[in-house]
Amino acid sequence: MFNMVGNIFKNLLKKPVTRNYPVSKRNFFKGSRGQIKGVDISLCIFCGICERKCPPTAIIVDKKEKSWEIDPFKCIICGECVDVCPKKCILMEEQYASPSIKKEKHKFKQEIKKAI
Amino acid sequence: MPRTIIPFGPQHPVLPEPIHLKLVMQDEEIIEAIPAIGYVHRGLEKLTETKDFNQNVFIVERICGICSFKHALAYCQGMENLMDVEVPDRAEFLRVIWAELHKLHSHLLWLGLLADAFGFESLFMQVWRDREKIMDIMEETAGSRVIISTNQIGGVKRDINEDGLKKVVKVVDELYIDIKNVEKVFLDDYTVKHRLVGVGVLSKEDAFALGTVGPMARASGINEDLRTLGYAAYGKLEIEPIFETDGDSYARTKVRIREVFQSISLVKQAIDKIPEGEINVKVKGNPKGEVISRVEQPRGEALYYMRGNGTKNLDRLRVRTPTFANIPALLKILPGSQLADVPILILTIDPCISCTER
Amino acid sequence: MLENLVNISKGELVSFAQEMFNTKHRFITTTCVDNKDGTNDLIYHFDKEKVIKNVKLTINREETIPSISGIYFCAILVENEMQELFGIKIKGIVVDYGGHLLLSDDELNSPMSNQITIIKKEGGQKNA
Repeated sequence: MFNMVGNIFKNLLKKPVTRNYPVSKRNFFKGSRGQIKGVDISLCIFCGICERKCPPTAIIVDKKEKSWEIDPFKCIICGECVDVCPKKCILMEEQYASPSIKKEKHKFKQEIKKAI
Repeated sequence: MPRTIIPFGPQHPVLPEPIHLKLVMQDEEIIEAIPAIGYVHRGLEKLTETKDFNQNVFIVERICGICSFKHALAYCQGMENLMDVEVPDRAEFLRVIWAELHKLHSHLLWLGLLADAFGFESLFMQVWRDREKIMDIMEETAGSRVIISTNQIGGVKRDINEDGLKKVVKVVDELYIDIKNVEKVFLDDYTVKHRLVGVGVLSKEDAFALGTVGPMARASGINEDLRTLGYAAYGKLEIEPIFETDGDSYARTKVRIREVFQSISLVKQAIDKIPEGEINVKVKGNPKGEVISRVEQPRGEALYYMRGNGTKNLDRLRVRTPTFANIPALLKILPGSQLADVPILILTIDPCISCTER
Repeated sequence: MLENLVNISKGELVSFAQEMFNTKHRFITTTCVDNKDGTNDLIYHFDKEKVIKNVKLTINREETIPSISGIYFCAILVENEMQELFGIKIKGIVVDYGGHLLLSDDELNSPMSNQITIIKKEGGQKNA
């Protein structure tokens, strides 16, 4: 009848399974999808493929203004934009996004070079 | 004594998802039960008509968190049939490996919730601690713990290399020993048997007439498992349906524990036989026509109906999930039982209400 | 490309369902499709030993069809859902929720059959 007692004794003698959180943090595995950090704006050619493929339409690309904007609260971290970008300039990080106080969008703008 | 009506509310500590039942009672025995659902209706079938047929995979995965890979698999299989796309062999074996890992974590989650329902909290924590190993290996191979997004029409997106496959085998072997220890507690303990044996009996004729599916039907004697149809590399593995004949809650627990061991052996078989090759093919054109695709989810059989009309948007996508078919059986086993058994009876159908209401 | 497709008319529905019950077929579910020209297609799916049988029925929006929940009790949930989401009139359901199974009082009537408009922006992005 006391079949669970063996398990309980083994657990008492081993070290705890839970982590002491703020002191020791978890290491994320390589290749896990955490958050979209942003874009390397000097390589972007503003083709707009990432905007068309995004399922919740969280990316807005403006060719005339040369800007790239993402709404991180709509993003579902699927990784489609990273896969289809022809210049491979969208950056995906392994760390999860930390909570924030207000909703804001991240905008990146390229410097417009004047012809000499 | 007059009859009373007790609401078994949408919020209850033992329910994973909200469902409302009005129980008509006489003293401690239940006479009738009337269900009410609709707390998580999101209108996903309408949303799929506005998006591209490639983007629909992401919507379909998010119908349910616990059975999410199999939803994507059913959709991709149906579209591949409709557009005549042939998937490479390595992709089919990878799909089977991830699908069986999902089935393992779903059954372990259910075992923990059942132990919590009759008050045995240390068993609940022990089973969920063992489940964490599967979540970690899924994050390592696919990128994310719960909704893994590796399916696409035409194959899979990511590959697992030699090291990854060895790690999967190591984790699954450790899990075998852990679950063997816990199995003795579920099936041989005196107090646990008192709560489960003889409670909520469903006969074989009733299970057939009410259209029950999954482990609930297999525990009443119906010997059918849809994986023997042979979709997606299951045709190359050996599968035998697991069934019991008693039809009470003890038989349903026994069926699910034996399915855990069956999944462990299927993962090892698939890793032995996996061939080399590509992992996806390119898809051209637009879907036209109608098709039906069926898969076996951890909770039973799911049916998908798709109709396309030659443009990029689908005309109609219809999903029928297994809990939708098991709710009439719940209404049949509740009358005649005691009030204290109601949480256990609701949990034995394995309710996944977000699948039911999409 | 549906397997074993049979087309029937409204009057034969109940007798067909009784014949399926007598030959030990299991009822899976019902699908309703809006053809966008005023008619709806109803497809009933049955199963015996892993072989699917599909039965198709085409009706106009205003017609009333009989319910098969007297023969197969498990059809009550799906017939209530069809009544609410598509606006099809079904008479004789054993447990009738009257339109409150999934939707609440202040939502659209029959949301699945209302047309949605797709506006094309420049650059090929679609918006609904």
